[in-house]
Amino acid sequence: MAQPQSLAASISPAPDSALIAAWQRGEEQAAAELVQRHARALARFLAGAGAPEADLEDLVQETFIRAFRAVDRFRGHCQFRTWLLTIGGNVLKDHGRRAARHKVVPLDEGLADRDGDPHERAEAGEAEARLAAGVGELPRLQREVFLLRAQQGLEYDEIAAALDTTEGAARVHYHHAVKRLKERLL
Amino acid sequence: MNEDAKLHDAARRLGVQAAEKLDVERIAARVVERLREAPVAATRPAWLQPAWLRIAAAVVVLVGGGGLVWRQFGNPAAPHGAHFVTDDLTDLSADQLRDVLNTLDETLNLGSTTLPDGDLEDLDAQQLQAVLRSLEG
Repeated sequence: MAQPQSLAASISPAPDSALIAAWQRGEEQAAAELVQRHARALARFLAGAGAPEADLEDLVQETFIRAFRAVDRFRGHCQFRTWLLTIGGNVLKDHGRRAARHKVVPLDEGLADRDGDPHERAEAGEAEARLAAGVGELPRLQREVFLLRAQQGLEYDEIAAALDTTEGAARVHYHHAVKRLKERLL
Repeated sequence: MNEDAKLHDAARRLGVQAAEKLDVERIAARVVERLREAPVAATRPAWLQPAWLRIAAAVVVLVGGGGLVWRQFGNPAAPHGAHFVTDDLTDLSADQLRDVLNTLDETLNLGSTTLPDGDLEDLDAQQLQAVLRSLEG
């Protein structure tokens, strides 16, 4: 049986642009919806770029606050999520500066609370940890291009628009990032 | 699995565990709360953006500095503080003051109506200084 049109319409999620417009009209729920929609992808990006797990929630929150306050400047040149990730990169950079000033010593990774079988976790975690360390050593632009491409699965034209560079330059950054990571990891 | 595929596979797993632990509902609630506490329009007016403040500061420094330099060096016609040459002539005698006045008369071609020779002879030092002061304006 076919669903009534109104129900089908209510099931299909509103596009980001509609939620942004609703937020600009003052609808708080639209902002909450955007956070729920993109928070995990943002958290993965930040964690991949070296954000300490203990600070991840604060960094995600700060990124959304900055994004909503600057949303008037978002011209739709790329997807909202991609734009959000680039803001996240800036938030992480600022966080790194502050941490360096205050000499914050992160908790030992071994003390972190983790779920799952220790042996499986160790195997999967080893490759991830080595890659995370390698990504952390990349120059910022290479790191962001690599994560946007390999982790988030974005196309080069989208990455180029978000980072205000050319598609060719994005490809070159990605190539250099992969080369360095292979040298280090494989 | 080739090297590129391995790398991509590892990259896709990067940060997944950490992201899964996030309480997204709580983050959304906090973000909305913070936005409510400091609405976008009230946080910082456009003219208060750092770039505009820097530009305004640069303009103030340039205009202020330029004005000072102009007053100091660029405008010789500008009046300086009230200082009369006559004040430096208090030590001169009446005869010497008359010589100064005569010199002025010749140099500036002030004319006999301004400095009648005869009148100067009758004036004492104090009166001569008064005449000099009046010539200085």
